[in-house]
Amino acid sequence: MNALGIVFAYSDRDNLRELTKIRTLASVPFGGKYRIIDFLLSNFVNSGIHEVSIIARNNYNSLIDHVGAGKEWDLTRKIGGLRILSPFSTPGVTENMGNYLGTIDALYKCMHSIKRSRAEYVILSGSSIIYTMNFEDVMKSHIERNADITAVYAKPREGELLPQGVPMLRMDESERLYELNYSGDENQGQILPASLGVFVMRKSLLESLVADAIAYGRYDFYHDIIQRLCGNLNIIGYEHKKIFFEISSVSGYMKENMKLLDANIRREIFEESVYTKVKDSVPVQYCTGSKVSNSIISDGCTIEGTVINSILSRGVIVGKGALVQNSIIMQNTEIMRNVTLNYVILDKDVIVRENRQLVGHETYPVVIEKKSIV
Amino acid sequence: MPYIKKKEMIAMLLAGGQGSRLGILTNHVAKPAVPFGGKYRIIDFTISNCVNSGIDTIGVLTQYRPLELNAYIGNGQPWDLDRLFGGITILPPYMKANVGEWYKGTANAIYQNLEFIEMSHPSYVLILSGDHIYKMNYKMMLDYHIEKGADCTIAVLDVPLEEASRFGVMNTDDQLKIYEFEEKPPQPKSTLASMGVYIFNWEKLQAYLKADEADKTSENDFGKNIIPNMLKAGEKLYAYEYKGYWKDVGTVESLWEANMDLLNPNVPIELNDPPWKIYSRNGILPPQYIGANAKLNNVTISEGCYIDGEVENSIIFPGVTVKEGAVVKNSIIMPGTTVGADSVVEYTIIAADTIIGSKVCMGACDGILNDGKHPEITVIGQGITIADGTMIPAGAMIGESILDKEEQ
Repeated sequence: MNALGIVFAYSDRDNLRELTKIRTLASVPFGGKYRIIDFLLSNFVNSGIHEVSIIARNNYNSLIDHVGAGKEWDLTRKIGGLRILSPFSTPGVTENMGNYLGTIDALYKCMHSIKRSRAEYVILSGSSIIYTMNFEDVMKSHIERNADITAVYAKPREGELLPQGVPMLRMDESERLYELNYSGDENQGQILPASLGVFVMRKSLLESLVADAIAYGRYDFYHDIIQRLCGNLNIIGYEHKKIFFEISSVSGYMKENMKLLDANIRREIFEESVYTKVKDSVPVQYCTGSKVSNSIISDGCTIEGTVINSILSRGVIVGKGALVQNSIIMQNTEIMRNVTLNYVILDKDVIVRENRQLVGHETYPVVIEKKSIV
Repeated sequence: MPYIKKKEMIAMLLAGGQGSRLGILTNHVAKPAVPFGGKYRIIDFTISNCVNSGIDTIGVLTQYRPLELNAYIGNGQPWDLDRLFGGITILPPYMKANVGEWYKGTANAIYQNLEFIEMSHPSYVLILSGDHIYKMNYKMMLDYHIEKGADCTIAVLDVPLEEASRFGVMNTDDQLKIYEFEEKPPQPKSTLASMGVYIFNWEKLQAYLKADEADKTSENDFGKNIIPNMLKAGEKLYAYEYKGYWKDVGTVESLWEANMDLLNPNVPIELNDPPWKIYSRNGILPPQYIGANAKLNNVTISEGCYIDGEVENSIIFPGVTVKEGAVVKNSIIMPGTTVGADSVVEYTIIAADTIIGSKVCMGACDGILNDGKHPEITVIGQGITIADGTMIPAGAMIGESILDKEEQ
């Protein structure tokens, strides 16, 4: 497909506490061995898009470390391929150094690279929502319906309140967008489709929209492009009917991860291959005396204790007599003998020493920062 | 040739054997491509040893059923062998100006690829076979070879005397200088068995291969011809003693045993060894899911599996499903296979992509025999279907689907 994918690796809305202290949103681990970016990049690759730029803003060391040259996603290419667009500052200019005034500003500062691409279309995506989507279908709708911009949305999920500040689309019966609202505003309680942060348009349109907005000092993509121009541009909604995961708070992060324990949800999200960095870890070893139930376990783990309703990333060690319940354990973390964990998120390289007990609550999981020793 | 750089040592990996003693397990693949140890293929061990020893130019000599092996090796990327100079090259037999022929023997296979070796103009050539499970640093062997000033160094393993007659045996002096080589001697004089790992000085190897080819009576084999000829001519051949785990997985029994060794903490082969990883081509699969009814005891399970049954002392490869109520013990289940509900699988090797129905019973379902030995290993072939309720006796080798219960 003749399109350039652009992923924003950060979000201004996330509240992931310790999880994004040391990493950008896109490299937050999800579903055991994956990072959020894996699902986004795999969508592009599985839809035949082999040119993706990631706009990074801060804390993106872990992102670069993870995606490298894009080999695992088949994005190491002469034509197109993966590019990480990092902020740069002009010597002598200290104003807004290493920061963007908004999404439009970020696009503007990366325009040198976007302009160089030979793609006809762009597909923009954020990092706070994990989804599987075939962009060929979205593109087909975009062209058939003669849209200037296609905005992907999802109907609100039953029984779930949107976090504060999610852009919601008001559309007429032909899905043409005429107004933008934000969740948590005065229209609280109204059930409106929420934007998934995915937009499709011609690259030339994006280039001119960004240039115009910058000329007037307008920096917010939703407010200054979608909202302001929805009267003039043909902005058409495209409903995403499949599963998606919203990552904006720690409790939400935990809840969304745990959904993967449902076989149907797993089938949906892993229907197409999801690529990730290959670590060549050994298969999981379940020692005598281990007990595992309803859990996702990644390669390289050694399990001697009990693991229930939990998600383990690669290289986790669970010692004898340890009980891990309702928890998310990230890479290379070691849980020693007779430790009890319930509703805990252990970040990478954590060590929990013998006989410790950590208990959080579903609504407020305990988060242990990377490399901590408990 | 400007795109070639001189290499100190390159490896030639003999991977052409059929491995007929593995029966139906090699119906579809060459022996080196047979799955091993949960996520690997047998050849991964030798290739990873090379890479971990700093060898970045490898020729793989293939002949039997090369398709899957070629596809598996690909451009060598999983082993970090997609290199600007060197890397991994598949070397099948090919047509020459007037004639073309199969590889007649191990020495002839190398002879036919002298040009390939000469492209990197190495000082030393390492000859390996792709069907052994072991972790070995060939760099240390090369250091020894250089230190001894040898023309050829052969890696040897000290085996029990009663087993020595199964191997090529090196008779050495106390400096480990070889004075005699005996292929499978009935009365072995020494317990130093050849591992099929040789380092040759390139110039010497070239000369002996050419002479061997000119000799029409020769069997063109390293063990039978090249090594004895070098000894006869008074070349300096040394044995390099390897101390560690090494296993030839040439038979169903030894393949099963070597897999089980991985589950035994007392056997000195540890794969979870970050500085000496065994690399393999990874499938793109999600992490495994362990269901609420699973019972796991001393097992190794790989990515993409769905396990809801009871698994004990077994090796489960990627993408395997073990349904609720199924019992798998002392078995090896290769990639993509499904074991149906309430089936019992014991002492069995099930090849890839096979579907076992529900309530199937295979292998010796009553465990250890009276004399303390385990029952004969049952083997189920690749890509077949075993119908619900089938009973398969221990030691059977099933290569065709069993679709109808009446056929029993």
